[in-house]
Amino acid sequence: MENRLNLLNGPETSEFRQKFKIVFALLLIIFSVLLIRLWYLQVIKGGELKQRSEINSVRFRKITPLRGLIMDRKGNLLVDNLPSFDVVYMPGKVKDYEQLIEKLKILYKRKSLQFAFDQHFPKIVKPYLPIKLEKNVGMEKVAVVETNSVDLPGVYIDVSPVRLYLNGEMMAPIIGYTGEISKEELEEGDEKFTYGDVLGKHGMEKALDSYIRGRNGAELVEVNVYDKEMKNLGRIEPVPGYNAVLTIDAGLQKAAWQELKGKAGAAVALDPRDGSVLAMVSSPSFDPHLFNSGISYDQWDKLQNSPLAPMSNRAISGQYPPGSTYKLIVAAAALEEGIITPNTKFFCNGSFKMGNKTFHCWHKNGHGSISLHRAIVESCDVYFYNVGKLLGADKIAKYAKLFGLGDASGIDLPNEKNGIVPTEQWKLARMKEPWQPGETISIAIGQGYDLVTPLQLVNAYSALANGGTVWRPRLIKRIESIDGKTYKEFAPVKNGTLTLSKNTFDILSQALWGVVNEQGGTGGAARILNADVCGKTGTAQVISLPENEKGRRQRKMGVLLKDHALFVGYAPLKNPEIAVAVIVENAGHGGSVAAPIARKILEAYFEEKAKQPQVMAQNLTTNKVNP
Amino acid sequence: MIFLKFDRRIFQNFDWMLLMLVLSICAIGILNIYSAGYAISERQFPFYLKQIQWIALGLIIMMVIFFIDYRLIIKGAYVIYGIFIALLALVYIYGYTMHGSQRWLAFGGFVFQPSELMKLTIIIVLARYFDDHKSNEPYKLKELFVPFLIVIGPFLLILKQPDLGTALIIMIIFASIIFFVGVNWKSFVIALAGGLILIPIGWLFLKDYQKERLITFFNPENDPLGAGYHIIQSMIAVGSGGFFGKGFLNGSQTQLKFLPEQQTDFVFSVFAEEWGFIGGMVLIIMFISLILWGLKIALHARDLLGTIIAFGITALISWEVIINIGMVLGILPVVGIPLPFLSYGGSAMVSLMTAMGLLMNINVRKFILQR
Repeated sequence: MENRLNLLNGPETSEFRQKFKIVFALLLIIFSVLLIRLWYLQVIKGGELKQRSEINSVRFRKITPLRGLIMDRKGNLLVDNLPSFDVVYMPGKVKDYEQLIEKLKILYKRKSLQFAFDQHFPKIVKPYLPIKLEKNVGMEKVAVVETNSVDLPGVYIDVSPVRLYLNGEMMAPIIGYTGEISKEELEEGDEKFTYGDVLGKHGMEKALDSYIRGRNGAELVEVNVYDKEMKNLGRIEPVPGYNAVLTIDAGLQKAAWQELKGKAGAAVALDPRDGSVLAMVSSPSFDPHLFNSGISYDQWDKLQNSPLAPMSNRAISGQYPPGSTYKLIVAAAALEEGIITPNTKFFCNGSFKMGNKTFHCWHKNGHGSISLHRAIVESCDVYFYNVGKLLGADKIAKYAKLFGLGDASGIDLPNEKNGIVPTEQWKLARMKEPWQPGETISIAIGQGYDLVTPLQLVNAYSALANGGTVWRPRLIKRIESIDGKTYKEFAPVKNGTLTLSKNTFDILSQALWGVVNEQGGTGGAARILNADVCGKTGTAQVISLPENEKGRRQRKMGVLLKDHALFVGYAPLKNPEIAVAVIVENAGHGGSVAAPIARKILEAYFEEKAKQPQVMAQNLTTNKVNP
Repeated sequence: MIFLKFDRRIFQNFDWMLLMLVLSICAIGILNIYSAGYAISERQFPFYLKQIQWIALGLIIMMVIFFIDYRLIIKGAYVIYGIFIALLALVYIYGYTMHGSQRWLAFGGFVFQPSELMKLTIIIVLARYFDDHKSNEPYKLKELFVPFLIVIGPFLLILKQPDLGTALIIMIIFASIIFFVGVNWKSFVIALAGGLILIPIGWLFLKDYQKERLITFFNPENDPLGAGYHIIQSMIAVGSGGFFGKGFLNGSQTQLKFLPEQQTDFVFSVFAEEWGFIGGMVLIIMFISLILWGLKIALHARDLLGTIIAFGITALISWEVIINIGMVLGILPVVGIPLPFLSYGGSAMVSLMTAMGLLMNINVRKFILQR
């Protein structure tokens, strides 16, 4: 051991001395190089670089890439780009920007133009970061700035693309909008973001952002004191973003929007075969172009605080009592649990007693002795009060969950709500109160704590229509490169399986067909010529009042307390291709208000299909999925 | 017990030379940061005042480290290493993100960068390891496996943040110490090959944008927005200083803030613009003196442990000075490595002062430790 330790003689052995010599030599060489380089830069090139520093300087100009286009499933353009002329100020050597703005105002005034600077001047002013003074200005202002450039050092016109939303508010809840990167996004995001970048802020613009954003280009230029370009030192071309193809059918979307425009409500159409969203409208809506030139605080405030909430997408964020459309779920639960058979009859005399409480049927005189099929067709409440009582809230909840209710569907849009599927435990946790038997009775007709979004509702019916697959509704079909080649295909995703017996599927779909097509059915207004429509109406009470008082009070009440009208259904009966849900807020009965809107949407779909048989056939083959 | 035995000789042989060198460089640093931040009036608490606080804290830590025998400190090397690995892991999970890089731990209004102290920790742990495994022969590859494991963990954690500069420094320190303790030629070649294989594996760890950034590091022309711009502005600043400089607070590049990161990675260009070739040369000579002094301490240390630690610390400072100044002068690619004692930054200052405490510690105990 002893002889291995040369270091017991101390580190100053010859071997170490040798190494120190090497280190010393290396240091000598490297530091000589550094000093020679310093001499070269400061003494040999010093004069030249000093001159350059005086006329400095080099700036980079960011070149904004073209954002990807957004198209509908048939290739119709939904979002395009337009050139926007911005008045930009490069801080550089002119520090007093306020004086500059005063000068600009005077120049504008001569041409009777208004200065519209409502941006906050950024806190950190860097001489190489341009600041946008005005966005999206007209040609008159462009002329003023261009002709007075000597008086406005550092100010120039920059051309950058802005979004053109071809369908405006019809598509706004889905497409969303873009905006300049916020301070938070700049700090949290990747380093590749820079001040002034435009990002998707909402809807598809946000969900697709990483695909359609593209990559900034840059130009390195040397400028004089007036910020005039002297020398171009290099340019990197921007990379345009990918284009996106949505599952939306613009024609169908238009049909739905025509019907809902001016009302408050939502409509969603899905393809039950793969969960593609064919149409999704929410009314009232907003103009997405407001965000292009930087929305003012007042406009934003107005949009945010309007009682009609135009910024919220009711199809996914609106939570409504499902009303009678919930009876489908209760019926499925009762059949599967063996509580009833198709032949089980209950007697409806117009009301139902539970303890000391009386629950009414919508049909005051009662439906008489009634079995499941007719109870769904005529939407008999008393029948379902009886079934609900036998089932209990937790059994109903179990099946509601199977239908995909109570959880956000996972669509690629922000602010999707979960809805509520109440159970006894849920109430105890939420309200700290035990479950009341009467509450089960309300739930049986979709009138208690239960809440659904229109999207959840149509997705649940779509699962019944396609024989048991609960799809994750999807809006993005594929991403394409600018030459139209597929870059990424989005396959349908299964959220779950609705495990019901074949018999139950048949009984329920026959009943839903009856609602629309049989004598006395509540959904007759949704009937169309080209296809067998199946569906269910619903009328959701906004506030429940004792029945006898209700009629009298309702007349006194404002519109806001009127019932919500619902219709949800699908067509055709055999091999369904489209499922649709319509909700109109405070509008009255589902059968008379929502069903006719659903009819228009279904008509539009089947008329279009009849017109273009080849195209539809093609779509069929590409959409087919083996679950 | 040698520990805390207040030997008269500790004071008699106090390393005034090292202290004076460090204080002079720090003083230049404060003036320089003051100038760099001169035109920025918005800040309530300017960088130079903060830097003074960090230097003061660093000096206190330096004195504490100085009095505790380094051999005692080294006994806890693996524990210290464990603590900093844990802190790096914490950074990975809870770290505070600035400019897209997750490097900091935030507590009570302070942000702290464990990777800065990891540089010093690596030196201590490797010194301890090679002291425990002394050998007359050059080390073979097999014997270097454990040191490699010690280094690769922090390396990957820091690379993942991502902080290429610090990760690079850790590998360079490793290589320097390996060279110093002596390695079998064959092993060196194999290790080099292994390192090259490791690069694509490390590559897999990175996200797309991090890869993009790394590509830019090695090819600044790729990115005129970032690195390319920095280099051009930095070279104009340095060059325009000329032989005598533009004078304190008179650097136009600096005062007009054409220089990016002028308090941190590009401080040397601020200094060179205002103080010219004369100033730059004086500063470089001061650094050379510090480095030579460190090498002298390494050479004359009383045991291998002290030699390796002193050598490691000197290597750390040398490489940081060389890479940083090389980058500012446009002969090395832009990687985020600070200039010791001049760049603004609390964690780096504390780490450097601790290292200086260790150097003094080793220097003074060559007179005390009797074998």
